[in-house]
Amino acid sequence: MTERETFGGAYIPEMLWETLQQLIAAFEKAKRDPEFQKEFRDLLKNFSGRPTPLIFAERATKKLGGAKIYLKNEGANHTGAHKITHCLGQGLLAKKLGKKMLIAETGAGQHGVATATVAAKLGLECVVFMGNEDIRRQRPNVFLMERLGAKVIPVEYGSKTLKDAVNEALKFWMENLEKAHYCIGSVLGPKPYPEMNRYFQSIIGREIRSELQEREGKLPDVVVACVGGGSNAIGSFYDFVPESSVRLIGVEAGGIGKKVGQHASRKIAGVLGIFQGYKSLFLQTDDGQIAPTHSISAGLDYPGLGPELADLYQEGRLELTYALDTEAVAAVDFFAKLEGVISALESAHALAHVIKIAPKMKKDHIIVATLSGRGDKDLFNFARAFKDKSFRDFLKDEYNRYD
Amino acid sequence: MTRMTTSIEKNHQGVALMVLLENRGKKSLFMAHMIAGLPTISESIQVAKALAKGGADIIEVQIPFSDPMADGPTIAVACEEALKKGATVKKALEVVKKVAKFKKPVVVMTYANPIYRMGIPKFIKTISNAGAVGLIVPDCPFDTMEGWSLLATCKAAGIALIPVVSPGVPKERLETLAKDATGFWYCTTRQGITGATSVFASDLPAFIKTLRSTSELPVAVGFGVKSKKDVKDLSKVADIVIAGSVFVVALKKNKKISAVEKTMSQLKL
Ligand SMILES: Cc1ncc(COP(=O)(O)O)c(C=O)c1O
Repeated sequence: MTERETFGGAYIPEMLWETLQQLIAAFEKAKRDPEFQKEFRDLLKNFSGRPTPLIFAERATKKLGGAKIYLKNEGANHTGAHKITHCLGQGLLAKKLGKKMLIAETGAGQHGVATATVAAKLGLECVVFMGNEDIRRQRPNVFLMERLGAKVIPVEYGSKTLKDAVNEALKFWMENLEKAHYCIGSVLGPKPYPEMNRYFQSIIGREIRSELQEREGKLPDVVVACVGGGSNAIGSFYDFVPESSVRLIGVEAGGIGKKVGQHASRKIAGVLGIFQGYKSLFLQTDDGQIAPTHSISAGLDYPGLGPELADLYQEGRLELTYALDTEAVAAVDFFAKLEGVISALESAHALAHVIKIAPKMKKDHIIVATLSGRGDKDLFNFARAFKDKSFRDFLKDEYNRYD
Repeated sequence: MTRMTTSIEKNHQGVALMVLLENRGKKSLFMAHMIAGLPTISESIQVAKALAKGGADIIEVQIPFSDPMADGPTIAVACEEALKKGATVKKALEVVKKVAKFKKPVVVMTYANPIYRMGIPKFIKTISNAGAVGLIVPDCPFDTMEGWSLLATCKAAGIALIPVVSPGVPKERLETLAKDATGFWYCTTRQGITGATSVFASDLPAFIKTLRSTSELPVAVGFGVKSKKDVKDLSKVADIVIAGSVFVVALKKNKKISAVEKTMSQLKL
């Protein structure tokens, strides 16, 4: 890249143009509308449970013997992850736009559950698209979404993961523009989605700043977050972008290797492209076809990088790295035993990186890692990863209890 | 439009789209859609031949992309199959070249990423050399960096960059697009994606009127065209009627390329 690229944009069929203009206008208005701000803050506090705690990981810090480790526990949010924050923001906007339905895509199921929850809370219908492969990996979340009144539509073609769910959600939206708002689950898609979801999520970074100020009286030296599309990452980083002393590190899914289809890391193989409404780095073939991806965590199993993160990466402000499937699983175990937190497999990628860098850092340095979600949703995956025999027996028993 | 006529006429294949449109009389033309590489690369050329024989006036060749945002399951799955059977952008462009030999105007359709990856100048040069007269890129609006680049490159090559619009697109937006649009409007019968239902938007006729009051470009209408009745209804308001998924369905159901010719001749008025 010799010239500086402009990432983002709105690469969309003309039929979406008017709807996006309306959304941009509603978003711009909401930013300046005290009533919207009040409603949003109220839901974050009294529904989602913000502010989320900043945990001092004292035993992990001792064990690793280097920098002081703090965990920003977004898993303490209602529904168990950061996703609910941008769902509440978009849900309120959808209501202002007079929409009756929220559409969502979901990978891990977290964004789907969060959207279904917000739809129920705000009195909206909800339709969630989820790849068949992800349904297999995260079946319990399908059950929860359905209990919350959402309709879950399996995506049966393509790679049957998150990117295909985005495709189908976009298509369904184009068929229901009057009625529905598409509640995109990360900082991706056409303008204004990347900016809008970052705007809602940037509360993570602001809370980190004030909580750490209170505890340590200073800024963190490093902020680490996992990166799928990038919503928890940019949410954690944004407030610190102007603070040049703070290193920002995004951790992608290293999967099981560096070949095409074995990982989901744009650092390893991302190439400039145009996809799902935005320009950014994508995993793709020489032919310009979107490449298959792999991650043990459904939420990071996506080929594109949020455009604002791509911009920070190009500038050199953001560092990208990756953690392997096995490292993520080991990190869950490490922090569970030492800190009493069971991390989602997505967030465990950030934790795995903390395990790598903390020992090399000075003791008076501070790392804040964003724990984007708690691990409840990964119960079955953990049980399988740890080859837990008694859990297996339990499943058999449970199966027999059904007639 | 005159500006377009002259540049299109320079196109070496001698199948000028504008001349065809100007001489069509009262009848609307038929644009038949096909996917390069379906069922295989070589058989897809036979599909084109069948469409031409069956009475298609213009052939739209889709270059398969892994994630076709504007396509319903029929075409999306078909593109996936074509790619699995080994279709690539390069091979698909070879198909375009062969299809252009059937002396029907050929319009290429694909998505932004495959073009962007190849490089806009190289892509346009290749389809121009292959004999294509038009290009449709549903996910690349004119007012993007790549849109501007496509407009300039297509203009220089005498290729029409055809905008896809739908009922609901406001007049002010149409006016902006009309400044740069060439060839014809590709107007979808409703908001949504290809295939799916034959339910056309109730405001389609009114929208087409708006299109006509916005520019002199001919209007092609498609999405969900499945029967002769659909073609009849649409030909009352359209200069060109477009069908696509219906041929994919015919091909899959009968596993014979002759089914495509039959379907085409049955649809043709
Ligand atoms: C817990 C959790 N963390 C992270 C992600 C990845 O998304 P993003 O990169 O947008 O934060 C997901 C997505 O499903 C998730 O559920």
